[in-house]
Amino acid sequence: MVSVNIHCDEISKSFGATEAVAPFSITLAAGQTTALVGPSGCGKSTLLRMIAGLEVPDEGTILLGTEVPRTVARRGGLAMAFQDPSLLPWRSVRANIALGAELARKPAGDIDALIELVGLNGFAEHRPAELSGGMRQRAAIARSLVSSPDVLLLDEPFGAVDAMTRRRLNADLPPLWRTRGATVVLVTHSVQEAVLLSDRVLVLSPRPARLVADIPIDLSGARDSRLLDTPACLALTRSVFAALEEQA
Amino acid sequence: MTGALRRITLVFLLLGGWEAFARLGPIGTLVSGPGAIATHIVDNAALLGRATIETSVNAAWGFVWGNLAAMVLAAVIMLVPRSERALSALALLVFCVPLIASGPILRVLFGPGQGPQITLAALAVYYTTLLALLVGLRAVSQNWTDLMRVYGRGALSTLVRVRARASLPYLFVGLQISAPAALLGAMIGEFTGAERGLGVLTLRAMRGLDTDGTWTLALIAAMVAMGAYVLTGKLGEWLVGYKPVILLSAPKVSAAKTVWARLAEAAFIAALILTLWQVSMDAFDLNRFFAKRPGDVWMFLVNPQNRDTLLSALFETLSFALPGYLAGLALGAALAAALVLWPPLSRATMPVAVALRAVPIITTAPLLVLAFGRGLVGTMVVVAVMIFFPTFVACHQGLRQTPGQTVELFKSYGAGRWQLLRAAQIPAMLPAFFASARMAVPAALLAVTTVEWLATGKGIGVLMAMTASTSNYSMLWSCVAAVAVVAVAFYTLVATLERAVLRIYASEQVT
Repeated sequence: MVSVNIHCDEISKSFGATEAVAPFSITLAAGQTTALVGPSGCGKSTLLRMIAGLEVPDEGTILLGTEVPRTVARRGGLAMAFQDPSLLPWRSVRANIALGAELARKPAGDIDALIELVGLNGFAEHRPAELSGGMRQRAAIARSLVSSPDVLLLDEPFGAVDAMTRRRLNADLPPLWRTRGATVVLVTHSVQEAVLLSDRVLVLSPRPARLVADIPIDLSGARDSRLLDTPACLALTRSVFAALEEQA
Repeated sequence: MTGALRRITLVFLLLGGWEAFARLGPIGTLVSGPGAIATHIVDNAALLGRATIETSVNAAWGFVWGNLAAMVLAAVIMLVPRSERALSALALLVFCVPLIASGPILRVLFGPGQGPQITLAALAVYYTTLLALLVGLRAVSQNWTDLMRVYGRGALSTLVRVRARASLPYLFVGLQISAPAALLGAMIGEFTGAERGLGVLTLRAMRGLDTDGTWTLALIAAMVAMGAYVLTGKLGEWLVGYKPVILLSAPKVSAAKTVWARLAEAAFIAALILTLWQVSMDAFDLNRFFAKRPGDVWMFLVNPQNRDTLLSALFETLSFALPGYLAGLALGAALAAALVLWPPLSRATMPVAVALRAVPIITTAPLLVLAFGRGLVGTMVVVAVMIFFPTFVACHQGLRQTPGQTVELFKSYGAGRWQLLRAAQIPAMLPAFFASARMAVPAALLAVTTVEWLATGKGIGVLMAMTASTSNYSMLWSCVAAVAVVAVAFYTLVATLERAVLRIYASEQVT
């Protein structure tokens, strides 16, 4: 695995008459976690899907390192977790996690260790239907990590889980991708989550998405929910909110 | 225990009633009781056993080939979406040609042997399986396909890893409905000139006015068909667990934008079919004496005398088919509506109707003709019965699709059942009704031509039977082409009507 930066150069995207992303340029540093926040429907998911190669920009280019997204995808360097866990119901938890490596054509490595890391030990042979929503989401995140992707894209991965589980996942999962050195892009509705999980928060305008604020998150210490109450963190959260409110 | 006892008592009561009716009823000479049927079976056990095995084996091979063809076709459509319109049109056209029309042609091409029976069985099954499979292959969440693309995997990988597995429950719905249809196909193949099998015995019993034999054979055919239906159902349940409710009907063709584009597309498909016809005959170097090409048919029909013979037979057939078609549709829809008004009755009858939908009614056509005569009424009844069950089941499903909130809205205003039915449930039923009306077009043509071939001696069915036996192959091919054109024309007519009606009542379904 190589750390790559993500370079968007003047990209734009429209769906029919709806302009989703205005000409937009940004470079995301290799190995960093960047959070995208913005009002609903502002085009942040479209931006993420373009980085994933799922949508092609109408204009402009995206490079992951030196390659276009489809090339990175074909060599298994990309992974994505969706708002919905999207596990295959006929596969066990283990087989669902292994699917990530299978599709990326990479050795699966130590799946049991990964299962333990996401706290699913004892459930490896269970089917998704037998798990709670939070457990399914953890399995989906394990699937996105198993291929050790260069670029990890998270589209509201905690959107559908309850508050308690979300709090725990917020604390447990980021170390997993941080230690692997992946470049992470996270789309989230939660400002606290954005501050807590990332190295940099990008605030986007309502549709078409433009960059409104670029806030580096400089927090020392373990990133868990206790951090949220520290003055430094509160100040950062406030500045993100302020940037969002300016838009409204 | 008491439940089982009650059921056994009921079965004995029914059998007793049947026997009494056969012995004492006014049309008793046309009805064989269980006693007579049992005697017939015992007397002819070896013959019936051999015939049942012969037909079942042919049906099984047809089932295998037809379903394999459906799977390949579905896979091609998924992998090359551009091919869908042409392939769907071709598949529909082949499905629209009544089996009894393709039978003699296949007989001519294959000669004696099992080829035609197996091919007809395959033709009888491929379309339902294709429809069910296409619904299933598309019923996957977009996240799954996105997931595959994020890892750089293409359509083939998605098909193999996600779509194929996700479509299994749908595949089994298709397989279950097609299992009895395979038997139907094999029997029709035997009607058109085989040496062995249930179809041959049925033909012989009917021509010899052997009432007991006719009843016995119809009963055996229906039982084998039901057995195949139940068995594939159980197998599906065991393998995939659940059964999705789907409306098995050709997807509504999203018509091209302009009239000209539509005409151009139709012309392209017509040209494609004529080319395929010509090329396949030439490729196998089939003798022009029996393997007629499009040009031969055209030359034959240029002669007014030939044309008149064909057209008068065709009109005779249509005059029999149309009343039956309309009656079957009306009865199916009306009974479905009536059952919604009385839910307990619906709970009792639906399982029976769902199962009967699968019985190839044609195998019991000889009985209906015995009972209702060889004229208009007999033919109409066969056509109507053939269409009734699928329409009834689909309309019943459609009525139940009425959104719960709408029903509750009506109830909150104290609306009665009748008002609810008229204002909310019948409009909700219309898409299902029209879907079955489209699928009933080929079914009606199959029913009418089969009855003509077997019993009534009228119309284009018997013209095909005669020309097949007198080697008038130009007329035979012309008949088949004419029936295919009529089937497609009526199908298009119903589809046009459907679009017009649904634009008013279910505008969200019209693209």
